[in-house]
Amino acid sequence: MSVVTVQLGQCGNQVGQELFDVISSDAQDGQRKTYSSVSRERFFRQTSQGDFEARAVLVDMEPKVINHSMNRAAKSGRWRYAEASHFSQKQGSGNNWANGFRVLGPRHRDAVEELVRREVEHCDVLAGFIPMMSVAGGTGSGVGTFVTQCLRDVYPSSFVLNHLTWPYGTGEVIVQNYNSVLTLAHLYQLSDALLVHENDAVHRICSQQLNLKQISFGDLNRVIAHQLAGVLQPALTPDSCGAYSGNPLGELVSALACHPEYKLLSACSIPQMASASIAFSTFSWPALLKHLRQMLIANTKMEEGIDWQVRPPPASAGRTSSLTAGGFNASLANLLILRGKDVYSAETGGFEDPAIYTSWLPPAEALSLWKSPVPFDKYEKSATLVSNSQALLRPLDDMVRKAWNMFASRAYIHQYVKFGISEEDFLDSFTSLEQVISSYAQLQC
Amino acid sequence: MQRSKAAAGVEVKRVIGALCRLLAALGLDPVPAPEAFRRAKFGGRPEGDPFWQLLSSILHMSGIISSETSSQLRGELRKLVAAGLWQSGYHADWIYGADAGSFCSRDLLLALGWLLAKGVLETLLAGRVEQLDQTLLSSAPEKPEFSADLELDAASLRRLQWLMGHLRHRGRTLLSTIGARTRALHEVLSSSQVCSAAPSAGRSSAALTEDCFSLQQLCELLDAYVSWKQVEKVFWTWMDSVADRRLCDLRDRTSSQGVSHSLGACHQGKQRLEEMLRGPAQQQDVKSGDADWAVASLPPSLSSRLSAPSVHQMCRARLQAEQRLRRPSEGPHGGAAAPGELPAPQAAQLLLQAETELLQRRDRRRLANRKQLQGLMGSLDQQVFIAL
Repeated sequence: MSVVTVQLGQCGNQVGQELFDVISSDAQDGQRKTYSSVSRERFFRQTSQGDFEARAVLVDMEPKVINHSMNRAAKSGRWRYAEASHFSQKQGSGNNWANGFRVLGPRHRDAVEELVRREVEHCDVLAGFIPMMSVAGGTGSGVGTFVTQCLRDVYPSSFVLNHLTWPYGTGEVIVQNYNSVLTLAHLYQLSDALLVHENDAVHRICSQQLNLKQISFGDLNRVIAHQLAGVLQPALTPDSCGAYSGNPLGELVSALACHPEYKLLSACSIPQMASASIAFSTFSWPALLKHLRQMLIANTKMEEGIDWQVRPPPASAGRTSSLTAGGFNASLANLLILRGKDVYSAETGGFEDPAIYTSWLPPAEALSLWKSPVPFDKYEKSATLVSNSQALLRPLDDMVRKAWNMFASRAYIHQYVKFGISEEDFLDSFTSLEQVISSYAQLQC
Repeated sequence: MQRSKAAAGVEVKRVIGALCRLLAALGLDPVPAPEAFRRAKFGGRPEGDPFWQLLSSILHMSGIISSETSSQLRGELRKLVAAGLWQSGYHADWIYGADAGSFCSRDLLLALGWLLAKGVLETLLAGRVEQLDQTLLSSAPEKPEFSADLELDAASLRRLQWLMGHLRHRGRTLLSTIGARTRALHEVLSSSQVCSAAPSAGRSSAALTEDCFSLQQLCELLDAYVSWKQVEKVFWTWMDSVADRRLCDLRDRTSSQGVSHSLGACHQGKQRLEEMLRGPAQQQDVKSGDADWAVASLPPSLSSRLSAPSVHQMCRARLQAEQRLRRPSEGPHGGAAAPGELPAPQAAQLLLQAETELLQRRDRRRLANRKQLQGLMGSLDQQVFIAL
């Protein structure tokens, strides 16, 4: 089964290109025939000349980033984007969500749908879509939300997993919180699950874990791509009966996001280190999983600086409000993906503890395990955890609060009204996100 | 007259045939032949009657009697049927074991009529269709059982929503898997088109044959039901005549009992006859006024109260005249007899004669009335009667 990636806006196009790069280099090794062929079938199609073309549609309102990504892909020599699989315009959407969602999206709907349709026709079997975009920008968020809506309409039975890049809390764009509120509120209705990477957390990984000095978006994107590929590369799942999973998106969504009020997923992986030091490190499953578990319950996205004091509250004691600082991070559901040597002997009991889950979903249903004996991306052993937990509660709450403060003084609202997004639309979005926040806050009760 | 009667007989036989076909299609076995229905109308020994078996299987299949009851009462068909009919709300003397003397297969036929009128056919049809049509999802869930300790709180609700979502995702995954399989199958078939794999694959599939067979059965069943629905009216008219015949028999029996009891006292017998006369007399009256036809359908007890004295008086006068005519010849034997009295055997004979004559007349009247009524009903088909 194949997955069609839709890269939207600057961020989506950059992260997408990095993702295909990681996947193609990981699948290259001739030793692991089945793994490679499943991976290639999933993300690439082979042309008559034997080249691999990504199953991707590139959409942006400016040609610059798309051209750059296509050139980088072609330069890699392992894969490339198909010639006619991109759509771009001369003028951007000016960081205005309303412009993207109400004007540019509908205007170019037919062209984008045609590109997607052609890509889908190339798949033997379509598992679903991964629209990749930033949550705050103009084209990515506005047009991306619109395109997601079109995908939902045209392919109602396919899975749609949105990958979202969350902006820095300090802000790149003044209206980023407005854009984020509108994007998230709309996608919550449209998508099956939202996998979120926070720029802040990824930035910390780059600086502290990878010891990078001048951190560029390219560095951030590589970390994101590494984690995403760790999730999406072939693995043996409980449903796949000893073969590599046929429908990765379907199984991911079934494992993590069955409840309509809980769709926010976050990912973290271990180990992550500068490639120079990998050769000098040894890993053991118990240590990796112990660290990963503590990263989960303390809500830290990296090994460095884990707070070991955080413990799941005893079952008898009343749980405190989740918004208290340094609190314990309660999970609704977790998906643990292990890759590498001796993967079948890894002991995952720590993740089956009922104390780390909400009271209404037993651990047997809340925890899913995927395994693959093939080492991933140079690491002899590696583990990736996708979690539907309170991890994003605090950033979401901050973002909604900031947006609300701006909205209370009606700042910049006219720019949205101009393109057909009314104050009522804003209020609807605020309401639905408040509901999401309240649902996640109640996980600990 | 004779020809139309014969035609009506053929028509009734055809209608009963339709009912038999429907019952057989519903999976009931054995179903009596239409001829058995006709014989049952005129009574017959109920032992070994095919209606016992039919009634018990209807009661069983429609769930009126549970399988436990039927296993308890195995071999006692009569008790089983009686219990089932009683549960369905049917009451008759023979069910309680009383009135065994007059019990005949007509009673069983009437009980069958009761069950049909209760809509048991539709129940059986629904069950059978569900059984035959595998594409139908069962409309009624199998007794949803909630465990007693289920708490309907927010947590259970959330868990339920989660499970629902899980199910929905699984459904979509399954759909795409089926899509993949279909695509693969299509490729295999289109690449091996030359050897025409499709028909042989169809023939070899046992499941497909089975499906086909049950679909055929389903069609037959629905067909039988439709044709039954079209002619149902005729059946109910006929069933009416069965009920009439039973009432009639009952009255016959009570009257004959009355005669045997009062052979000694002719005066008494005559009075009884007078009472009997009032029913037909009423019908005689009706003959004159078409507008009053509806009175004929009144129960006999009520119509006797409404009887017109004139005809009654007339009949009485004629009887007495006959009595007077005969008196001189009987003089030497019955000289001691008081005036207005007849010797017992003669009186009995006379009364019986009069009775048969009157009964025949009444039956003819009744038939004529029924036809009139049907004609009127046919012409009023478009109208709706609203009881006030």
